[in-house]
Formats: sequence, C-alpha cells, structure tokens
Amino acid sequence: MKKRSIFGLLLILSMIAAACGGGSLEGEEVFITGALVGNDAAGFQENFDSFTEETGIIVSFQGSDNFEQEVQIQMESGDTPDIALWPQPGAVVDAAQRGYLVSLEDLGVDMDEYRASFSSYIVGLGEVDGAHYGGAHAFNLKSIVWYQPAEFEARGYSIPSTWDEMIALADQIVADGMTPFCFGMYSNGASGWLATDWMEDIMLRTGEGTATYDKWVSHDIPFNDPVVKNAATFLSQIMHTEGYVVGGTDAIVSTYFGNAQDPMFEKDANGNPGCFMHRQASFITSFWPEAAQAGAGSETTVFPFPAMDDGLPKAALGAGDMFGVFNDRDATIEVVNYMLSNDFFEAAAQRPDNSRIYGHVDFDTSLYSKDITRVLADTITGALAENAFRFDASDLMPPEVGAGSFWKEMMNLAVEGPGYIDTALNNIETSWP
Amino acid sequence: MKKLTQREKLFNFGISLLALGAFPLIWFLSQAILFRELTEIVSRNVLVVIGIIVGSSFVFLLFNGMERLIRLAPRERRDSLEARMFAGPSLFMIGLFLFYPAIRTIYLSFKDRYGKSFNGVENYSWAFSDTEMLVTIRNQIVWLVFVVFFTLLIGLIVGWLSDRLNKGEAFFKSIVFMPMAISAVGATAIFKFIYEYRPPPLTQIGIINGIRVSSGEKCSNNRIIEGVLNDYADPSCNRAIGWLQQRDLSNLQIGETLESGGWLSNLLVNFPLNTVLLLVIMIWAYTGFAAVVFSAGIKAIPADIMEAGQIDGASEIRIFLSIVIPYIKSTIIVVGTYMVVTVLKAFDIIYVSTRGDLETNLLAVKMLDEFSKYRNIGRSSTVAVIIFVCVIPIIVGNALREKESNSL
Repeated sequence: MKKRSIFGLLLILSMIAAACGGGSLEGEEVFITGALVGNDAAGFQENFDSFTEETGIIVSFQGSDNFEQEVQIQMESGDTPDIALWPQPGAVVDAAQRGYLVSLEDLGVDMDEYRASFSSYIVGLGEVDGAHYGGAHAFNLKSIVWYQPAEFEARGYSIPSTWDEMIALADQIVADGMTPFCFGMYSNGASGWLATDWMEDIMLRTGEGTATYDKWVSHDIPFNDPVVKNAATFLSQIMHTEGYVVGGTDAIVSTYFGNAQDPMFEKDANGNPGCFMHRQASFITSFWPEAAQAGAGSETTVFPFPAMDDGLPKAALGAGDMFGVFNDRDATIEVVNYMLSNDFFEAAAQRPDNSRIYGHVDFDTSLYSKDITRVLADTITGALAENAFRFDASDLMPPEVGAGSFWKEMMNLAVEGPGYIDTALNNIETSWP
Repeated sequence: MKKLTQREKLFNFGISLLALGAFPLIWFLSQAILFRELTEIVSRNVLVVIGIIVGSSFVFLLFNGMERLIRLAPRERRDSLEARMFAGPSLFMIGLFLFYPAIRTIYLSFKDRYGKSFNGVENYSWAFSDTEMLVTIRNQIVWLVFVVFFTLLIGLIVGWLSDRLNKGEAFFKSIVFMPMAISAVGATAIFKFIYEYRPPPLTQIGIINGIRVSSGEKCSNNRIIEGVLNDYADPSCNRAIGWLQQRDLSNLQIGETLESGGWLSNLLVNFPLNTVLLLVIMIWAYTGFAAVVFSAGIKAIPADIMEAGQIDGASEIRIFLSIVIPYIKSTIIVVGTYMVVTVLKAFDIIYVSTRGDLETNLLAVKMLDEFSKYRNIGRSSTVAVIIFVCVIPIIVGNALREKESNSL
C-alpha cells in the first residue's frame, strides 16, 4: 500500500511539472539524429547554441555511422527521434511514403518562403502526393574538376571550357608522356557511384539538359534511351581511351575513390604529377593527404565541368542532406523553422574545419572559413537561385537502381569496355521496379 | 514412482500453465503498458526510479503469488512445481525474444517491400533467380566448402604435429591459437593491408603488391624511355593489382594463359579470386581454435593403442589415418558443425572489407543490404529465412547424433 502511494505521488508531481512547462518552450528537448560524425556533427550541434540561448529549447544531435540502419529500426519500433537528417532525399520520401513523417505544410512552414530560399526544385525532391516532407540542409557540388594551376601553367595547358577542349587537352597530355585523369570508383558497398556522377554530369549537358535529366530520373525515358547511351559513350571515352586514366582501365575499379586523387600530389621519376584532372565532388578534400589539404583552393583548385552543348544553359550537379520530421510538437516546429532560416548555419560555417555548404540562397557565404568552400558555395547558391541545380540522380532513383544496378553495371562497364554499353543500360532498364 | 491420479495431473497442468504462461504474460504486459504510457508524461530521471521500484516489486509479487499457489499442491509435488515456477519466466522470455521474432520473420518473408500486403512466394522466386542473389548463394557455398575443409585439415595437421613435438608445444600452439584472440574486424583490417592497392605512381603499401612491383623487371609503364612511350599494358612487368577487386583470374599471368573451353579451365577462369582471398581471413582466424580442440582430443587417445600400432610397424601416416582420425571422429564432427554454423553467420569480414561489392557478398550481409540499402523488408526476411533453413539440418543432425550416442 505504501509503495503505491509513493508511486502515485511521483506521478502527480511529474504531471504538475509537465503542465507548468506548457506556456513557454523553455526546457523542451528536441532530439535530432543523422549520419554526420566528428567535426561535422560538432559543427551541426554548434548551430543550435544561439537558438537554445534565445528560445530555451534544448536541441541535441546524435550522429552515427550506421544512422540509416538505426533509423529504419527506430521507425519500425516507433521509437523515433524528433527530426532525422538523412544524407539523401530518397530516404525521406521513403519514410514519408511509409507514413512516418509529418509534412512541412502540417507543421505550418511558409512554403513560398521555403521555395524562394532553396529553389522549387529542391523543395520538390521531398514531395509525396502533393505534400512536402523534406527540409533542405547542406549540399555539395559535383560538377567540378580538380587541377593544379601551377602544373598547368608550367606546361602551357589552359583550362578546358568545352568537352572537346578537355579531350584535346587529354590527348596533348598523353602525347607529352603523362596521364590526364585520376579516376577511382571503388567504394566499400557503394562501388561505382563515381561513374554514375560522371553520367549525370554528362546527361545535364547533352540532349535537352535538365529537361531530359528530370525525365531520366523519373523514368519517363527508358534507361536504354539513345540520350543515355550517348552519355555512356562519352563516359566510356574517358574510361577506355588508352593512357587516359592513371594505372590503366583495370585500376579504375581497384582504386578507392578516396585515394584516387593522391597521384596528383605525387611526382613520378620524371618530375611529373601522376595525373592532371580529377572530376570529384567538393567533399573529396577531406580524403586528401594532410599536406595537400592546406592548399585546397590555391595549389589545388577547381574548374567547372566543361560544357558539352552550346545551346544549353549552365547546370550544376550536387547532392546533399535532407531532414524529415516525426512529430508536430511546438518545440519541433520552432527548430524546423530555425533550420530553414538563413542564419542557421552561421556557427558551423565559421569553424576552421568546416567544408559543408548550406543550401540557403541568402546565406552569407563570406562567413565560410575556407576560400574553396566560399567559391563552391557561391556556385551552388547561384545555381539554386537560377533553378539550374540538379540533384544526384542515383540518390533519387529507386534504391534497386540508384544504389544497386546502376552502380554495379558502371563497374562492369569499366571492366568490360565500350562494347558493354548496350548490355549495361539494358540490364539497368530491366532492374527498374 | 507413484501413479498420479487424474485430479493431480490436472492440478499440475493448471499450475504449470499459470507458472509458464499466465503469470509472466500478466507481469510483462502490465509493465509494458504501464511504462509505455509513463514515458509520455514522466521525465527520464523519474522514470528510472519508478522502473526500479515497480520492476522489482512486480517480480517479488509474481514469485510470491506463485509460491502461495504452489503451497496448495501436495507436498511431494512441490519440488517439481517450484522448478517450473523459476523456469517459467525465462522460458517465456526466450519465447518472446527468440521464437516470436523467428516466426514473424517467416511471416514477413511472404510480404512486399513495406511488409504490408502478401505477395506469395515472389520473394523466394526472386531469391533463386536474381543474379546478385545467385552470386551470393554461390559465395556462401564456396565459403562453406573452403573454410570448413581447410580449417579442419590444417587444424588436424597442426594438432597432430604439435603433439609430436618434444619441446615447445605450448609455445607453438599458442602462436597458432593467437589469431583467435583477434576479433574478425581486426583480422580483416590486417588482411586489408596485405591486399592493399594504390594507384601508380604512389608507393604500394600492401605486402603482396609491394613484392610484386619490386620483384622482376622494374615497371616502366606509361613513361617515356629512350623516346618511346610505354603504356600501362606493358607485359614485361608485374603490375600492382587490386586483389579484393578481382572477380576472376584474368588479370593474373596464369589467367591469361588459360583458354576457356573445357569445364576445368572454365572453372579456373571464373575462379572467384576476391572471395577466396577473403575467406582465407576466416581460415586464418579459426585454424588455431580447431588445432587446440583436436590436440586435446589426440592427447586423450590411450598411449597403449598408439604403441600397439607402432609395434605392428604402422607408419606415422597409417597411425594418423587408422587410429587418430577414428578416435577423434566425434570431435571433428563437433568442430565441423561449429564451423558450418559460423560460416553461415559470417558477416563482419565482408562488412568491413568489401561490403559485398564485386561479387563478394554473403547471405548475412545481403540480408542487411536488403533491409537498409534497398529498404525491402520482405526480401530481407526471405534471406534471413534462407540462412535459418540452412542451419536447421545441422541442428537436427546434431540432435540425432546425440540421441544415438546416448542410447548406445
């Protein structure tokens, strides 16, 4: 009997405590999980310091390498965080289709303002049955080619602005006895994604540009359409032309993408770098050797992926994070609105180790601590403002294709040579669910 | 033993039912519901305190209540009933956390990707027709055959030879046993350095590639030497190879000389090099375990049998085959069974090395891929059921063998 009364007392006390907090959001906790770890996670958490000071809402972020598996299990068991930050919008859409997420409209987010600050294309990525579930966050830029200006100048090479110029430059480098491209697409569990990025960049610059690209992503044109085949042929030109790629064609599938650019920083016996150009996303800098990282933006910098068709406007390919919201508590809504505002990323941007780029078009890019991040951020926000930014297609396709057959067949294509293009595209087409 | 009357039997059955089912069920459900509601209203610290108080008092009430019930039973029955009382809750928990998930997995394997509507045997026909799945099953078979065979063989040889040593047996055995002390993840990390590949002109840090590149003629690939450009296909030098990315032997010199035609050369041309290189890690890790168990078994062979063999003039090999092997047959079967189950569950080696890329996948990793990468609950459950079905014959065989040896 005594025990029961203690229990009852505690229950009543705690209910009073909960009721008292009802007016303001002071002391409310909002829990966010995501795939960010290390410095990125610390930076993300720091963004909320000023917010917590202002509103009293305590936001805690928990990052994990196994985030995607963990959040799946949490959704199945009903033990979800308040907000989850996925590394790709496809997962947000999937969670929304399963009915786990609350739409931004239901949270009272001003959709017009959201569209204006992140572009209607980005907003549309999180759409399911007319409602929008994905909150935009940080993006990286993929339409870039890394090179070393000093090495180019010393040999009189100029930056190629078109595909034909790039091929001519590559031929010139081969004729001079060196290797033009670094190319490595091995990645544990995701091997092949680098080639899919190449395909996407080429797709954005051939055919009808972003229009065919969007049709390709939504499967309104088949995967073995002539436009796609054309893109694959261009890619094959890079992968399979004798002498174009470091280590030869066999090395493409064997080289870990994180090590792929290392030859550029290494001189061979004749004093030449191992390669001159490397098409890779902006995040690759964190995989570089430490000595090279300091020179990012100066010693080693980028030129935009060359244009292929004069008639098409410039387009930028990228990828990034998107968050989904699991409940409509007042505190959660406050946090969501803050995460979509233009001063959200300020604290993280100023960290010296930050290389993430916030997608808000009105974000003050001069805040970024590194030069290279500033340059890339201007490109991204510029493209977003013109609605010319396109998201990584393989992240948007159904996972059987985007994380399965597309990757796998690109690996096979690299090994088998140009004669395999038709087989590869047909195989991907049949695997589309 | 006294025969039980009908009434006593019924009474026993009733109490067993209460002890094994009803009480734990009430105990579990009431707390589950209570805490489910409480987490919404009470803060975490208060919840912990309530959990400790309520949880322990519930257990007390549960056993107290059953104790009272059992006192109603005749004195000579009480012992067996009390045993049931203590076993009941644990059996209930095993049922809840082992049998229920197993049955639910089988149920889910007949459903679609969201686990919502039934789609018949579609998942199973996918499992045995999808090319990636077929490769995974092939790999699992390759792993089973190679790992179990070589672990047993090398384990036997090492166990037998160490027994013949005059000196330093313990030292020798502990060296062979050492890899067992390293986790599979650690062992894989070690082997990843052995197989490591770097694109030229970087220095090869992997042992195998380091030896390949530095032995033989100096590589002059893609350099101008005396005015002539050598491309990467220069056959006169050993190139570095990404070992874990080789699906066949075509990049090795042996592979180039093989003609596809006969079944043997076909088999050799399609030899899954990376899969075999990965399973070597498991052989390396488990041989020590097998050797130590076998060595203990060999020690238990009576010396007079061995001596009798030696007096009759049998050679070492003859003694090994005709005395040692038959004598430790049951040990071999036990170790073999253990290895088969371990290989079927093999997960960490693939997970931290290739993550299943380039046709190296195994069922356990595939199960996880289907769940989290392709987000397909039905197929993921199907793969789980396939693993489960593969283990059943081994468990049944073991149980039968035990029964046999008991009845002898």
